[in-house]
Amino acid sequence: MTALTTDTPSTTTHSPAELREKKDRRRAIALLSPGLLWMTLFMVLPMAMVIYVSFWTQTTFSVNSTLTTASWERFLSSATYLGAIWTTLRIWLIVLIATIVVGYPVALFIGLFVRNKTLQTALLVACVIPFWTSFLIRVIAWRPMLGTEGAINMILMKLGIISEPLTFLLFSEFSVLVGMTQIYCVFMVGPITFMLGRIDISVIEAARDLGASFGTIFRRIILPLSLPGVMVGSIFVSVMVLGEFATAASLSGRKTNLLGNIIVSQVGSLKWAFAAVAGVVLTIIITAVIALALRLVDLRKEM
Amino acid sequence: MESRILRPTLALYTVLFLLFLYGPMIVLTILSFQSADGGPQFPIREWSVYWYEHLLGFAETSRVSQLPVGDSLLRSIVLAFMTTVVSTVLGVMSAEAFRTRFKGSGPAFYLIILGMMVPGVLVGLGMALLSNTLGIARAWWGTSFVLHVVYTYPFAFLVMLAIFNRFDRTVEEASLSLGVSPAQTFRRVTFPIIFPGVLSAMLFSFTLSYDEFARTLFTAGRDLTLPLAIYGTFSVEIYPNIFAFGVLTTLFSFTLLVIYGLLMKRFTSKASRYSGQEDA
Repeated sequence: MTALTTDTPSTTTHSPAELREKKDRRRAIALLSPGLLWMTLFMVLPMAMVIYVSFWTQTTFSVNSTLTTASWERFLSSATYLGAIWTTLRIWLIVLIATIVVGYPVALFIGLFVRNKTLQTALLVACVIPFWTSFLIRVIAWRPMLGTEGAINMILMKLGIISEPLTFLLFSEFSVLVGMTQIYCVFMVGPITFMLGRIDISVIEAARDLGASFGTIFRRIILPLSLPGVMVGSIFVSVMVLGEFATAASLSGRKTNLLGNIIVSQVGSLKWAFAAVAGVVLTIIITAVIALALRLVDLRKEM
Repeated sequence: MESRILRPTLALYTVLFLLFLYGPMIVLTILSFQSADGGPQFPIREWSVYWYEHLLGFAETSRVSQLPVGDSLLRSIVLAFMTTVVSTVLGVMSAEAFRTRFKGSGPAFYLIILGMMVPGVLVGLGMALLSNTLGIARAWWGTSFVLHVVYTYPFAFLVMLAIFNRFDRTVEEASLSLGVSPAQTFRRVTFPIIFPGVLSAMLFSFTLSYDEFARTLFTAGRDLTLPLAIYGTFSVEIYPNIFAFGVLTTLFSFTLLVIYGLLMKRFTSKASRYSGQEDA
């Protein structure tokens, strides 16, 4: 009953449409504000704090709020820290390319060549299942695989391909790259498969009927239509790889130091200001990468 | 025709890819059945379930200290549950808000999405600095919890947004114009339509939070969650008890996935029965 009585218009100065629009807007803001408040308090504010603290004064075991650029100067003049920036960028680029190269053919097969919906879903689920194992367990699982007494060395020796175990497999940059590629590949396969699955098969058939080779069809139809998927996948992979530290900590034997590892070790020794500087540098890099990617693809449209 | 060569090649490649994905887990599972005197590598000296007993605290005193599984597991589950409830509620509310066009919806969208983009180690550091400055004690149920929601809420939001995009608004309006109260309309009309989405949002939130580690590392304080307990073993020598733990925790996740599948199936079959009645 109440619903009926409240709907009666009480003012005549505004049109019902205007009133309704105003009411809708007020409702939207009311519904949205708890979430936005949460994000502001617990994401924006901590990030602002990182920037602020990067200008604090670092003493041996604590920081105080006297503003200085000393931490920045030390960071930017240290070969170790600059090396970490370079390592982070290098590993990010290699892993990004590796996930595209490894993942694209798989997405091509699942998204375009498998036309049976059940099989398609089954294959996608098979790709996602490892995601259900704890991230840290998936990282550590590479140790018995790549170690000098690990599975790969054992198999290669049994087959007589090598006589001595390969030592570069584990506790090297190689193991970090392999581990990251395996862990993040799924985030590339998913979006590309999604975009390929949306291609109207009759377009490809038409091109084939008109005499186009598979190379031409791939170059002119499949690749352009799948590019948004590659971009979305690249954003996922980039964001995750750039903020990584656990894989490097577990598989590189402390030889590979990413910016994330610098932050963790600095916090461990209570050098909050240095950790904050590394954090700001990482933020700048990630912002640049995302900004570049968003320039190439409209995320809101693709979702 | 090239596809006659291409299709088998790609199929073979996909099989190899799956082997690459599953290989480490298979090796880990095999090695979790190592005997008590064996190390975390081949060969298997003798098949045994010793490390499972060790993990669960049934083994006699050994040279390897037990993983602190019990308490940390409980903490992780409680934390994931809290995160699931809050982020799903926030996600549904925000997605509902986005059904009407309003000024500033673009920036609001990106502010929410940013939560899943920002690396955990960064917000974790920021939160630790903030709580240090404000003198708030760091705890898994406080500082870690709010960061977990920052991470999972965008996922819940996106899932709900996808559901609402496909949701015909006139159904709701019909109910309202027939004099059903808004609360009743939500319960009887809106909720049944969005329920599969809510379930998916909850599943996302729970698993992401349960496994979350970078955001917890600096903010959990003294009491460890499960991923932190595992991370603690990274710096020391590893033993097959970690492998046994990996197998068990994977089984736990699958149980969760099966429950989700059953709920979803039960619900969708019910929904299709209703629509069948309409057709008749």
